[in-house]
Amino acid sequence: MAPAVAGAGMAKSTKAERELAVHRRLMRFGDAETLATPMWEQRGTSVGEIEAELGRLWGVPEAGGGPEALVTEKGLPHARTSVLNLIVTVVDSAAADRVVQTMMSLGIRHPSRAIVLVADHEAGGNALDARISTHCHATPLSADERICYEEVVLTVRGEAAEHLAGVVAPLLIHDLPTFVWWPGDPPFAHLVFDQLVELADRLIVDTSDFADLLAGLRRLATLRHRSGVGDLAWERLSIWQERIAQFFDAPRFRRYLPNLNRMIIRYAVPSKGHRGRQVAEDPVHKVASPMAQAALLSGWLAARLNWRRYRTLDPLADGGFRLRLEGAYEMVELRIEPEVDDRLAPGELTSVHLRAYGETGAAEFIIDRAGDEATVATNADGMTALLRQVSMEPPDEAELLSQQLTANLRDPVYESALRAAAIFLGSARSAEAPTSEAQPVHVAQELGG
Amino acid sequence: MPPATPTITPVVPEPVSSEGDGARHLANPLREGLRLERIPEPCTMVICGATGDLTGRKLGPALYNLMLGGFLPPEFTVVGFARRPMSDEAFREILRQGIDQFSRNKPVKRSVWDSFSKGIEYHAGEFHEPAAYVELAKKLDRIDRDRGTAGNRLFYLAVPPVLYPEIVKQLEAAGLAATGEERSDGKRGWVRVIVEKPFGSDITSARKLNRELGLALKEDQIYRIDHYLGKETVQNLAVFRFGNGLFEPIWNRRYIDSVQITVAETVGVEGRGEFYDQTGALRDIVQNHALQLMAMFALEPPVEFKASDLRDEKLKVLRAVKPMSASDVADNAIRGQYVSGWVEGAKMHAYRDEPEVNPESQTETFVALKLAIDSWRWAGVPFFLRTGKALPTRVTEIAVQFRRAPLALFARAGTPQIDPNILAIRIQPDEGILLRFGAKVPGQGLQIRSVNMDFRYGSSFAVDSPDAYETLLLDAMIGDASLFTRGDEVERAWEILDPLLRAWGQDRGGPLHFYGAGTWGPPAADELLERDGREWRRL
Repeated sequence: MAPAVAGAGMAKSTKAERELAVHRRLMRFGDAETLATPMWEQRGTSVGEIEAELGRLWGVPEAGGGPEALVTEKGLPHARTSVLNLIVTVVDSAAADRVVQTMMSLGIRHPSRAIVLVADHEAGGNALDARISTHCHATPLSADERICYEEVVLTVRGEAAEHLAGVVAPLLIHDLPTFVWWPGDPPFAHLVFDQLVELADRLIVDTSDFADLLAGLRRLATLRHRSGVGDLAWERLSIWQERIAQFFDAPRFRRYLPNLNRMIIRYAVPSKGHRGRQVAEDPVHKVASPMAQAALLSGWLAARLNWRRYRTLDPLADGGFRLRLEGAYEMVELRIEPEVDDRLAPGELTSVHLRAYGETGAAEFIIDRAGDEATVATNADGMTALLRQVSMEPPDEAELLSQQLTANLRDPVYESALRAAAIFLGSARSAEAPTSEAQPVHVAQELGG
Repeated sequence: MPPATPTITPVVPEPVSSEGDGARHLANPLREGLRLERIPEPCTMVICGATGDLTGRKLGPALYNLMLGGFLPPEFTVVGFARRPMSDEAFREILRQGIDQFSRNKPVKRSVWDSFSKGIEYHAGEFHEPAAYVELAKKLDRIDRDRGTAGNRLFYLAVPPVLYPEIVKQLEAAGLAATGEERSDGKRGWVRVIVEKPFGSDITSARKLNRELGLALKEDQIYRIDHYLGKETVQNLAVFRFGNGLFEPIWNRRYIDSVQITVAETVGVEGRGEFYDQTGALRDIVQNHALQLMAMFALEPPVEFKASDLRDEKLKVLRAVKPMSASDVADNAIRGQYVSGWVEGAKMHAYRDEPEVNPESQTETFVALKLAIDSWRWAGVPFFLRTGKALPTRVTEIAVQFRRAPLALFARAGTPQIDPNILAIRIQPDEGILLRFGAKVPGQGLQIRSVNMDFRYGSSFAVDSPDAYETLLLDAMIGDASLFTRGDEVERAWEILDPLLRAWGQDRGGPLHFYGAGTWGPPAADELLERDGREWRRL
């Protein structure tokens, strides 16, 4: 058992000191049950103070800890395996709490220094409030070992909120990749956005939360070179991408790939008066752009298969549109349609239908989703449909974020899908769609290429 | 912006290389950038000995989890092949129960199972009966036609090794063994065969077995499974060495003093008394796991990270291990057997008191070895291997002890000899890497103490890693043989151990030592290192 950390001086020490002692013990010996301990809270503080506190938190216990605590290999003090910095920007403290909840389940997988920024440049009062807490989790491998990480919630008010990068930068752990997670609708036009993106190796957003999807996609597609972009809406698509790719793994079906001539993607919207399945138990969370996933999926296939925009058949109306694209051998009809479905969260895909011409007639590749399951069917080569049921459980937000944090910093496949989606959406939206242009524009050349 | 590349163009299907190296061309353009870049082609897996324990316990759950994860193509089909007559339905039930009991995802999801089970069939027949194979061939042809498995077949021999030659011979006779271009049935699909360890019981039997399999199969069709290598270990070892610039320059005799490899189990024989009493620790662990770990640790950088290069390099290491002469055995190898004691707080009976074990058994349950690799890189660096049952902790690790600092610069300060640096690569139970070095104790004066810098995979990537069988089955379907052992490697490993097997078989080469269950083997194992002024790591 670990020796008492604070020794005889314990009785006289202040409450805060005692908590700190307990916390250090927790981190060194992992024998406490605590999950999150609010450790240190200060109103009207400074960046320097916060920095000092973070340093103190991981320092050596001064008295009584004794060097014997440092040497044993088994009851080893937890080495700090931080693997990344995570900056999260939110609009208010309610959103901050939601983010903290998400990260609770994340911490174990991504030991990190997490900094949650609540910025309000219109508010008065203290320029800077800070709250530092640590989270310790038992690892799945051994119950008596804990992984700890710390989380700093900063509330920045007034003018300081216009210079967030300067507040955050000194608090980051050097040499670790920095992720900026921006839930909701990022202020693309604002200087603060550029500042924080400048700090980031990877920016993570959720394009389904964008108020203006097209503007958002365009902005992301033209981000500065250094930052990679991640997207939770894209991450939700990964299971669809796997299933679609799987159709064409078998060489005999792969030959249909260049001959695809129709793609219909449907996504869930709630029925009138119904709000759809709530996302992350958050009553205020609305899906602002439910079309995001469908648009990205179409962009993905188009970019992989080198389809170009050709003309707009039906411009955007009621959340749906129809375009004609030019494929390698065939013209491809792209149709995106909303479908009322109250079981799924708004924006989740409900079905993807692909059609191709083959030597023996039309071939169809179909994924139809019902709740957490989907029917996958192949109807080709004049064969009766190959049917099977697969699981389609949507991962929760923490899972999505976790995947995004593990991925490579830059994702060229996403970036090309993003560009294509922006082009399709742009054509569908503009009243005078470039149908008259005889010359189709290559997807990739159109945006900042 | 980076120039938006009109990436992949080859949408016309390309012939998939049948070379068993897993270097499959990414022929499906939609696969680029996806998490699952490795998807096997449609195929049928035939489990020979399907009614055995392994099917329910390991294979069924592994296949189900692969299916659940979307790793298997929809056409994938399983055919159980065994003696006992049984309906398809009954065989499915065996699999389903196994999944319910042993899978890491359970219970079975009804709907997923319903569609998966449509691709499960059973074929009853005697393994020595040619007619059974003719029928099997017909069944497989029908499956190819109905389910589109394109003639790709994976045979899993979940049977005692004595049956391997017979089954393989029969497969060939029925035209089921030929692969790719050589097939007579007009198909071009691949045929691969997975065999379980033990692969032979000494050099003679291993050579014989290799020869018999070789009559019907080519080497690149044979997948010798060593589930130990299916753990993330092998890739991790390679990544650690060759993915970092820091370690490779010191990975040689100039900087490394010695290497210790420990494969320790806390359990006894656990009801496998009969099997174990004929096998012993040398055959059970050293011949495959321990020597494979050593080879992975010591190999030269392969030209490419692919099966044939990796296995060439592993073989080079094994070839450089000089087999002991008969007279050296006593000096370099210690064998032990446990007597009763306490392990992890529980009483354990002596090995000889276990059921099905000969009460006068001479079988070793503990082995400690000193091996030398005679290569430019490793000459003069002793490799110490130890493995055993009923040891105090369950741990598998490779520990590198570096040379001491050349001068005792701090000797006057009361620290005569600084502990050597140690780099430990832990494989089980929690994978990780630990570096031990000296640091000054804070305060006046100069006291030096060893401290640890510890990295745990579990703390940085806490993900649910796949079962070894999942990894290995998927690899075999894809045709990546990196984690399987090649015939010449197996034979070479037996050659290295041959002098020990001979000596101990005739009760020469040092006595059988006894050790209490719950201790780190007999004192003689400690003396093996103490002679050179070294000691085993305390684990």
